[in-house]
Amino acid sequence: MVDAGTAPSAGVAFRPEVYKDPGLVTQLQRRIASLADGLGRPVKLMHICGTHEHEMGRYALRDLLPASVEVLAGPGCPVCVCDNEYINMAIELSLQPDTILTSFGDMLAVPGSIPLEGERRGDVRMSLLDARARGGDVRAVYSVFDAKRIAEQNPDEQVVFFSVGFETTVVAVAAMLKRGVPDNLSVIEANYYTPPATQLLPDLDGFDVEGFILPGHAVTITGLRVYEDLPARGIACASGGFEPVDVLASIASLLQQIRDGAPVVANPYGRLVKYDGNERAKRELHEVFELAPIRWRGIAEIAASGYKLREPHWYASAARRFSGQLDPVVLRGAEHPEGCRCAEVTLGQIRPDECRVFGRRCTPDSPYGPCMVSHEGTCRAWYTYGMHKEQLRVETV
Amino acid sequence: MSKPSSEAPPEERPRASSRYDTVRLSHGSGGKLTLELIEELFVATFNDGAIKELTDAAVLVNPGGRLAFATDSHTVKPAFFPGGDIGRLAVAGTVNDLAVMGASPKYMSAAFLLEEGFDMAELERVVRSMKATADEAGVEIVAGDTKVLERGHGDGIFITTTGIGFLADDVHIGVGHVRPGDKVLVNGTLGDHGIAVMSRREGLDLAVELESDVAPLNGLIEAVRLAAPNVRFMRDVTRGGLAAVANEVVQRQAFGLRVFDVAVPIHELVEQYSEMLGIDPMLAANEGKVMLIVAPEEADAALGAMKAHPLGREAAIIGDIVRKPEGVALVETAYGSRRVLEMPIEEQLPRIC
Repeated sequence: MVDAGTAPSAGVAFRPEVYKDPGLVTQLQRRIASLADGLGRPVKLMHICGTHEHEMGRYALRDLLPASVEVLAGPGCPVCVCDNEYINMAIELSLQPDTILTSFGDMLAVPGSIPLEGERRGDVRMSLLDARARGGDVRAVYSVFDAKRIAEQNPDEQVVFFSVGFETTVVAVAAMLKRGVPDNLSVIEANYYTPPATQLLPDLDGFDVEGFILPGHAVTITGLRVYEDLPARGIACASGGFEPVDVLASIASLLQQIRDGAPVVANPYGRLVKYDGNERAKRELHEVFELAPIRWRGIAEIAASGYKLREPHWYASAARRFSGQLDPVVLRGAEHPEGCRCAEVTLGQIRPDECRVFGRRCTPDSPYGPCMVSHEGTCRAWYTYGMHKEQLRVETV
Repeated sequence: MSKPSSEAPPEERPRASSRYDTVRLSHGSGGKLTLELIEELFVATFNDGAIKELTDAAVLVNPGGRLAFATDSHTVKPAFFPGGDIGRLAVAGTVNDLAVMGASPKYMSAAFLLEEGFDMAELERVVRSMKATADEAGVEIVAGDTKVLERGHGDGIFITTTGIGFLADDVHIGVGHVRPGDKVLVNGTLGDHGIAVMSRREGLDLAVELESDVAPLNGLIEAVRLAAPNVRFMRDVTRGGLAAVANEVVQRQAFGLRVFDVAVPIHELVEQYSEMLGIDPMLAANEGKVMLIVAPEEADAALGAMKAHPLGREAAIIGDIVRKPEGVALVETAYGSRRVLEMPIEEQLPRIC
């Protein structure tokens, strides 16, 4: 993530206004339209980052694309892919005495698989907000360093940080652990590594996505080399920044690769992304964490796609520290709420409105599946922004 | 942003109420300490005609005609924040509810729920701030009540204010008067309060030099109504931000509301921090903002009147009422793309990355 508080490093002109420029956006819009015309057939692209969904929604960027170009949201929303096991663990720990559970705000509303007893809404699974309403000490934080400070201020309590996210989150946890933490702080290791999931996608039945917008924040750390095998499997790739110009430039790059029949790993977000990533961040990350299998919610357990603490740092693992208090049966819970098809949505196999509970049992104010919770969840974005061009056509007086 | 009124009023200590450093249960028990607190803090500070009588109910003069009547409970964490405090918030909130109906706020009651142990000096600051805000708005605080909750059973201080305003017979403001073609205006930058308060919450060390916009708006609204007598609709923009108000307006109506996002005034710091936190300033809270819908021929006059008022310098026309889509509030971006302006559902929570 770009730190707005520090001066840009030499050679990086961080002038966000350029990347919001309406003139540039219009030029890119024309270029995309002409590439799509040249292709003359529908094309599906996929981004793999919650922030891309957020920004595409905010600037209504899909509204600027020709009807033949569809951009799906892949398994890049940390809230959506975080397995029940970790949500249940966070809920259970928050209800322990003398325990403070700290979490990013957008995890608070995500239901795990523990039934909420006596709930008027019917079959509802408990979220951290429900745990808080039942007396759990649950606090929203902005980073792991806030959790550390809370631990320092409350030495008689156990403070647990719900470390959900991709490389960007885990690198901050690694940096903190390397520098030492209070004894009463531990972390729930729900950290995901994107590339193995993206390598799984092309093998899925009926997967017809032809290009990936690579997650700009994550590839700033990992670099692009880890995606090198995708073009050989027919998938065009382009790093994606987050301003409107960045997103459209990535889409244009993908369409051009597809038109030319020459997929590569392109780097239109080159002002921040280096081919080999950020060496120092990678080093610290791998000093503290190692890759291990992890379950992606509703999808599968994917080998070497989760960051787990290395042995010298096991003391900080909440799963290990509280193993005596956590019931493995409760943690594993039900795989997925019955009828919820978030996994297929996340993998680009179906559209949200093909799910039976979408918009009925599953709405933003009473989410049934994880993709309806976060603003970056595909179902939530569909529900909110699902009105298409025709429906949002304005008639004035 | 100049807000002279939000400065702390001159110190007028010590008072007998500060015999105690903190609020005791006995301050709410109805006995001697309660009377002391009422007489020496509330009555002495508010010092308005009716409250001085110490009767069970304030007796007010009714000028005849319609009355507007509103109540609002206030809790804010922290109780003191850049640009204001819970006392100013409690008075301004109810004043604004009355003013957007087209009423002139006149009288107010204030009920305090205090947690045992609440700092007495802070209570005095809150009460003085209420008085200063009431004076600014031209309302009298004429009745009150205090209860003290056991330690751990309240969050410091809660204030409920109830207000009465006089409403002229020829005032007709409401959604039913809104027509396609009308213009949508706000009196200044959106989201200041939400971000200013958030910047002071535990766990977020933002050195934001940003002040809450909390202010009574009846003066500004009066000025607008003089310049644009046929204002169709007004609503104070508070929790849920512009998004909530815009959606309330269009609900079940045969018109839509379009906001041009580049026209919405946003303070530079609010822009930066909401970007960082993944929060939409159009959904962030305000405490001194009003959204107005006015006939197109009166829009410039309304805008001019606001810009001439200290609480409306950054006023802007931000959108319009459209025939279609019906029942939808939408945002049009600088690129001409459109999205639904979503009705806020949950509290604004910062995103992960």
